[in-house]
Amino acid sequence: MWLWNKIKQLAIPSRTGVVTLRYPYKPRPAPAGFRGQPVWDHTKCIGCAGCASNCPARTIFLRDICQEIRILLYDSSRCTYCGRCADLCPEKAITMSENFELATDHRQDITETMELFMMTCQRCGRCFDLEIKNALDKLQMLGYRYDSLEARKVIRQSTPELEPELLEKTATYRRPEKLEKSPCGKD
Amino acid sequence: MSRKDELLNLLKDELKGNFLAASSLEENRLFIDIKKEALVETANQLMRAGARYQMGVGYEARKNGRGLAMVHTFAFDADSLLVAIRALTTEDEPEFDSLTPFIPGAGWSEREYIDLLGLHFKNHPHPKRLVLSDDWPEGIYPLRQEVPYDLMPPAAEEVAFRLDEAPPGSSIIPFGPFHACLHEPAHFAVYVDGEEIKGCEYRGFMVHRGIEKLAATELTYNEIPFVAERICGICGSVHSVNYAQAVEAASGLKIPRRAEFIRTIMLEIERLHSHLMWLGVAGHLIGFDTVFMQAWRIREKIMWLAESLTGNRKTYGMVIIGGVRRDIDLTKAELIKKTLAEVEKDVQALEKAIIKDKSIHRRTKGVGYLSREKAKEWNLVGPVARARGLDIDARRDHPYAAYDEVKFEVVVADSGDVWGTLVVRIKEIYEAIRIIHQCLEKLASRLQGSPLAIEIEDPIPAGQQGLSVVEAPRGEAVHYVLTGDDNRPERWRVRAPTYPNLQAVPDMLLNNKLADFPIIVGSIDPCISCTDRVAVIDRRSASGRILSRQELEKLSREMRSKT
Repeated sequence: MWLWNKIKQLAIPSRTGVVTLRYPYKPRPAPAGFRGQPVWDHTKCIGCAGCASNCPARTIFLRDICQEIRILLYDSSRCTYCGRCADLCPEKAITMSENFELATDHRQDITETMELFMMTCQRCGRCFDLEIKNALDKLQMLGYRYDSLEARKVIRQSTPELEPELLEKTATYRRPEKLEKSPCGKD
Repeated sequence: MSRKDELLNLLKDELKGNFLAASSLEENRLFIDIKKEALVETANQLMRAGARYQMGVGYEARKNGRGLAMVHTFAFDADSLLVAIRALTTEDEPEFDSLTPFIPGAGWSEREYIDLLGLHFKNHPHPKRLVLSDDWPEGIYPLRQEVPYDLMPPAAEEVAFRLDEAPPGSSIIPFGPFHACLHEPAHFAVYVDGEEIKGCEYRGFMVHRGIEKLAATELTYNEIPFVAERICGICGSVHSVNYAQAVEAASGLKIPRRAEFIRTIMLEIERLHSHLMWLGVAGHLIGFDTVFMQAWRIREKIMWLAESLTGNRKTYGMVIIGGVRRDIDLTKAELIKKTLAEVEKDVQALEKAIIKDKSIHRRTKGVGYLSREKAKEWNLVGPVARARGLDIDARRDHPYAAYDEVKFEVVVADSGDVWGTLVVRIKEIYEAIRIIHQCLEKLASRLQGSPLAIEIEDPIPAGQQGLSVVEAPRGEAVHYVLTGDDNRPERWRVRAPTYPNLQAVPDMLLNNKLADFPIIVGSIDPCISCTDRVAVIDRRSASGRILSRQELEKLSREMRSKT
């Protein structure tokens, strides 16, 4: 019985043969619908910040460098590739590509920056993108408004209205670091 | 009269003035508020009525009165009822009576809140540090609201975990924190007399990441499923489904039936890959690498299937509150059926080739034995419990998602050893395949075209409790959600299946040979990151002093302004 089992165990690999892939010498394409590196289409983006305010890993940032130019920064170093941004984009400007070989020495290789030209509405003073119709309505719906000439800040989370507290918080935002002094009073 | 009403009346009669309120949003859930004096009495009443202890949840209450709250949850498996009792105390007097003398399985739950919330448990037999690192300063309790989520006290030198006294005549052999037979950081100090194990002390929680704190301070409802999925590298879908179910239960959302079936399919695909992975690891741990290679070869097909269904091999990202994100259409269903047919054939061939191999029998039979009574006492769950004759399975006992509509067998073995868990897991592979086939049939025949997720129109009301269980591959996982303001839960507690199972490991190891240590620990399929979840660090500072509340507030403010 025991010997018979050993013979069977030998039979399995001889039946299946070699299953190891020749990757990376022979590329293995990802299947359709794979959630790889997200790619932004700048012609479609209206700068609504829907992706930035719903990113679970908080890797998408927005910055208004002046009244008319909004910068979108995607930092892939913390990205979890959940594809939430692509789901929520009202203009379908984000697609999850099939690119998964993202290891690199330079962070810039996997960082994406977009400069978006925003117009100011003559009636309400808000910024909107002129290139795509009805963009103003969409901005209202998704709720992003921040237009100040002097402040050049990273907004981590957008809100329907400009909140001074939020601005204050983002003004001093830095990554957490270690305490300088021991909380036990011991240096 | 239903079992729920019976229990409610019983508790009302017994507790009289100590009974405060009861609420029950769903048919199979009961949430009771009691005075803290009656905590032990209520727990004992419930245990006498046939309950199984699940977990304790501690939190600092903002709604429903301020103070510190402790929730204990119990499962009535025969009546598919989950009961949670909650007691509140003030911050000046953070003391509860301990349940551990009567319910040993409550030991860790209570020790966790001694560390994280600064609670005291009267009569706790072993109130040793559990979660926090040894050099975490005394008097800072991470789950308190005044402590920021990113607080990082400096590391202290020369502090180490102090082991309990070893039994006389035995020597200590340390396993871990990093050891070839452990796949994640955990420390076992094994007391041996010759080759025999005479005891064991566990020091874990080294990968505690503070996820629960993060969820209560930074994340929003629909971001948490993606973080929940990353609690565990193996049963990610279990945690995201479980969290979503708890929120849906708390807010009274009813998700589309199609979404429930898709969730069921994903959970079962996860079980397939997890069981095959365990089988491989178990083979590897007993030095039988043929099993390891072949089981993982079969598992790879499941991984590729998941990749084409969801867009990723492991972190499926399928679940959001209110439904799922991706559909399983007819072409995908065909792909699933084709893969499952191959996998079933391969598993059968592998099973036939190894099931009568003497080397497996000799290494697993009678190893890690635990009697049925002991298993019940430790509240074991999952295949580890089912191998010890406990007929419990959350899929059948507390049906969730679409499990009420599918037929399957709960595999139970009574050998009480590692061999039993192996048999249970192999048989469960076939049951999982059966369940997926049934789900696909129902999806194709009558649920075509229905929506995948509901739109959530109103904000989720604050102060509601939700409790959900999901049978993970390793056993029952429990999530508790207390909804809060600011579009995020006030408290979200995760209890992974390894949490109760690991507590029983010292008992399983007793009087076994040291060489069997890897397979006994491996037999519960320990998931350390699931168990540890929430994060901070464990070295006891010799000269630590307790900060006053004012000092702590000052410290927190400094931290906040700095970050």
